[in-house]
Amino acid sequence: MHKRRLGVVAAAAGIALLAACSSGNGTPTSTAGATTGAAATTPAAPVTITYEVWAGTQTPAMKEIAAAFTKENPNITVNVQELPWPQYWSTLQTGAQGGTAPDAFWMLAQQIRPYAAGGQLLDISDEIKAENVDLSKYPKAVIDLYDQGDGKIYGLPKDFDTNAVWYNKALFDAAGVAYPTADWTWADFRATAKALTKKGVWGTAAPIDYQSGYYNTIFQAGGRVIAADGKHAALDTPEAIKGIQFWTDIMKDGSSPTLQQMSDTEAETIFEQGKVAMYMSGAYWALQLYNNTALRPNIGVAPLPVGPAGRATVSSGIENVGFAGTKHPQEVKKFLLFASGQEAANIQAKSGAVLPAYAGTEQTWMSAMPDFKDLQVFIDASKYAVPLPVQGNAAEWQGLQTQYLTPAWNGQVPVEQAAKDYSAAIDKVLAAG
Amino acid sequence: MSETEIARPASRRGGSRRGEMVVHAVLILGAALMIVPFIWQVLTSFKTPNEVASLPPTLLPTAPTVHAYATFFQTVPFLRQFMVSVSSLVMRVAGQLFVASLAGYAFARLRFPGRDLVFTLYLLMLMVPSQLFLLGQFEIMKELGLLSKLPALAIPGMFSAFGTFLLRQAFRGLPAEFEEAARLDGANTWQVFWHVMLPMARPMIAALAVLTSLYSWNDLLWPLIVTPTGANRPLTVGLAAMQGQYGTDYPTLMAGALVCLAPLVLVFLLLRRQFFAGIASSGLKG
Amino acid sequence: MSTATRVPVRRRVRRTGTPTPTRRTRRRTDWWAVLMIAPATLGLAVLYLWPFLETFLKSFKGNALFGPSKFVGVQNYSNLISNDAFWHALRNSMLYTALVLLGVPLAVVLAALIEQVTRGRTIYQVLFFLPVVTLPVAIGMVWRLILNGDFGLLNWVLSRLGIPGEYWVADARLTIWAFAAVGIWMGLGINLIMVLFISGVSAISPELYEAWALDGGGRARQFRSITVPLLSPTIFFVVILTVISALQMFDLVFIMLGSVNNTAIDGSKTIVYLFYEAAFVQFKQGYAAAIAVVLLMVIMAATAIQFRLQRKWVVDV
Repeated sequence: MHKRRLGVVAAAAGIALLAACSSGNGTPTSTAGATTGAAATTPAAPVTITYEVWAGTQTPAMKEIAAAFTKENPNITVNVQELPWPQYWSTLQTGAQGGTAPDAFWMLAQQIRPYAAGGQLLDISDEIKAENVDLSKYPKAVIDLYDQGDGKIYGLPKDFDTNAVWYNKALFDAAGVAYPTADWTWADFRATAKALTKKGVWGTAAPIDYQSGYYNTIFQAGGRVIAADGKHAALDTPEAIKGIQFWTDIMKDGSSPTLQQMSDTEAETIFEQGKVAMYMSGAYWALQLYNNTALRPNIGVAPLPVGPAGRATVSSGIENVGFAGTKHPQEVKKFLLFASGQEAANIQAKSGAVLPAYAGTEQTWMSAMPDFKDLQVFIDASKYAVPLPVQGNAAEWQGLQTQYLTPAWNGQVPVEQAAKDYSAAIDKVLAAG
Repeated sequence: MSETEIARPASRRGGSRRGEMVVHAVLILGAALMIVPFIWQVLTSFKTPNEVASLPPTLLPTAPTVHAYATFFQTVPFLRQFMVSVSSLVMRVAGQLFVASLAGYAFARLRFPGRDLVFTLYLLMLMVPSQLFLLGQFEIMKELGLLSKLPALAIPGMFSAFGTFLLRQAFRGLPAEFEEAARLDGANTWQVFWHVMLPMARPMIAALAVLTSLYSWNDLLWPLIVTPTGANRPLTVGLAAMQGQYGTDYPTLMAGALVCLAPLVLVFLLLRRQFFAGIASSGLKG
Repeated sequence: MSTATRVPVRRRVRRTGTPTPTRRTRRRTDWWAVLMIAPATLGLAVLYLWPFLETFLKSFKGNALFGPSKFVGVQNYSNLISNDAFWHALRNSMLYTALVLLGVPLAVVLAALIEQVTRGRTIYQVLFFLPVVTLPVAIGMVWRLILNGDFGLLNWVLSRLGIPGEYWVADARLTIWAFAAVGIWMGLGINLIMVLFISGVSAISPELYEAWALDGGGRARQFRSITVPLLSPTIFFVVILTVISALQMFDLVFIMLGSVNNTAIDGSKTIVYLFYEAAFVQFKQGYAAAIAVVLLMVIMAATAIQFRLQRKWVVDV
């Protein structure tokens, strides 16, 4: 018997050796010859940089962008790597803590703070100046969103999102309700939702969703989420409370599925199932809804309803950032600028997967989905866009929303009380730094 | 001792055939409950993403399509990742079997100072949740220059305390007479281990091989973390990539998951024979 | 595996299973042993003990994600203990563990049943093994569909039986029970393997059964009075492992809750989920390390209790 085990071990070693050899030809990491420091005057040595993105519909466009970049910079190969979305941040963080991170990768506003503060990101402001990049080509809300207040620029937005109301025309027709107009108000929204709700169909979906939902209405009511000084929450002001009440009113009317139902099935999925008539959310759903061939002809988009203080939408976007410890800072900086630049934006727009941040490419994005006639609404919304509030340890205090707002949504606690309690909890997190 | 003799009690007189049918009934019920989610998985893999989200959900696919399987093989670099999964599995299992059988026997049967104390350490490491080790093990792999290389996938798992814990238990359950007899014949410790105890432990070693294969094959987070350049990522990564930030491609995920479990079932079937062979050849009777 | 021709309890084997040393070898250290444990112990020390010690030290430091953090003493621990979420998570983990333990006697019974049949053994083993082999991601998604409150399979079946269905994964009162059911389902295959093949239900000498049958004993009593006691060391072993892994459960919760917007999430977190949140979502390194250390202590306590209880029911074989 032991002979057999020896055989297994030998075979194992053999296979492992074989595989190690063959996979070694895969993707080489940085080779020698790359110069460090500012005096990089010999670009000829071949360099490979890793560009980490999360898996999804954007990957083919990213690979195209990488290829286009290499065409213009033949000595730099960009290795596009996908990480599954649920594991993206834990993998990135562990690697960075261990001193290794991809040369270039995607960043979100809620996550950037510890990386920037910890000195993990490349400052590309010198490259931006050297290349005369026109920052006005990018949505101001998103540029401000990533500003860490330290005078450095860590990346440029590659895409951005605004919010509007996706709606299902067929359900409107079935209920005999008129489509939303461009000037419709909160009251109109509430009434429409009520009118559309009947057996098996809800007028809208009202999950506890800050980016697609209540942050928008808070700003529309003239309130803020975090006070201007960035040190206190502002959810307990009358304006903010009004903004939250927008949603609790809808829940009270019964115009939305219950929180439990939306926990079981995502709100967007219920919309795609044709059970919800209006869904307030972002531009990033466009391609997915477009690919739903059954739903496609019925999709319409209306601007967010006008609130007591006017129009507002929160806006965010993904930035391309670089690792401060990369072995090829010059090449990475070049790539970062390219990946957020005009040519890359056009490539993304053509795929329709996401709305690129670079001004002038919006038309291409809309043309990628010709059957959707109303996409211009998302573009127009950037006029009244507000940066997504991400002060302090945003992930932590945003994570508290379910705990404090659920009772208000369920009508168990008055909105004022819930808002006050949540505000106090946020203050604690902000105070802890 | 042949299988039929072991099974003799079941065929005794006294309503044994009826008894056996009752047993079968219970087992079939249990097995059915076990595989209902499975069947659902299979059905989902032949649907379209829209149909999966439909309400109420359809049981059978209305227009069965292999599109999900096609998507899976197109978007996932299947062959490459499959080889990675297989290679790292073989390495990890071989390593763990080697390391754990030696240590397991030593803890079970041999005396040395601090034996119980050291073993308690093993037990402690087993009790620590695995997420804790990620960063430390990553740093070590980095120091060894093994990042994004195949061995890095297998090395931490090779030294898992689990194997030693399992095999120590197994060795303790073996009768001591054979050891004593061998020693009286003049065999030293190594010879007793290699020629006497190890063969008797074949079933348990096979069980460890199966379980380690399982952990290796389904491992996701560690392979992700330890391959920063993206080289040498196993199948689990390719599958997990079906989950996007917005929306998950369920049919492809199911299709891929089904494809991926086939090799493990194969491993189980192959090693299964070891279990009975071990008992038969252990010469315990008479 | 017993070879005894008489009733096991009278075997002259020492409690630890180590053969009674002859006078010759009583005090000599077996150097082979040291050599044999060397690879495992070295690997364990470098790859497990060292990282753990690093984490242990981290639990006394601050929360800086990158770079050095200052020493804060036991502040992380005091924050943890005063946090309601921690106690809730502890309760959830313990409830989950208690429920999942029900799967152990189930596995033992199943193992015995499988050994009884003359045909189809392989098929049953494979069928019970299948859940173990499937990717957790796939399992989570399928179970979420089955347990869906509005159109899931389970509620459909219940409605046929006149029982009202619930929101199994969206109601904080029920989630842990739902997770436990899936946990038992998933773990059955592993427990089966261990029971079957570590000491082997099949390896229990048929002669014992014959002797028993000759005395007129029934099948079920035979199971209870012979099989189970003989299996008790293995069962004990499986229980230890089950408790350890149940208290460490994370993946299942992570997948089955679906998203962080699940309203049931606050009532459904387990301790390791809390750790994950603290480490990777809230970026609080020191606090996360403290959670992990506390969990270790809980598991240690649970294991110690089991070892103490062992004397009551585990037969010395």
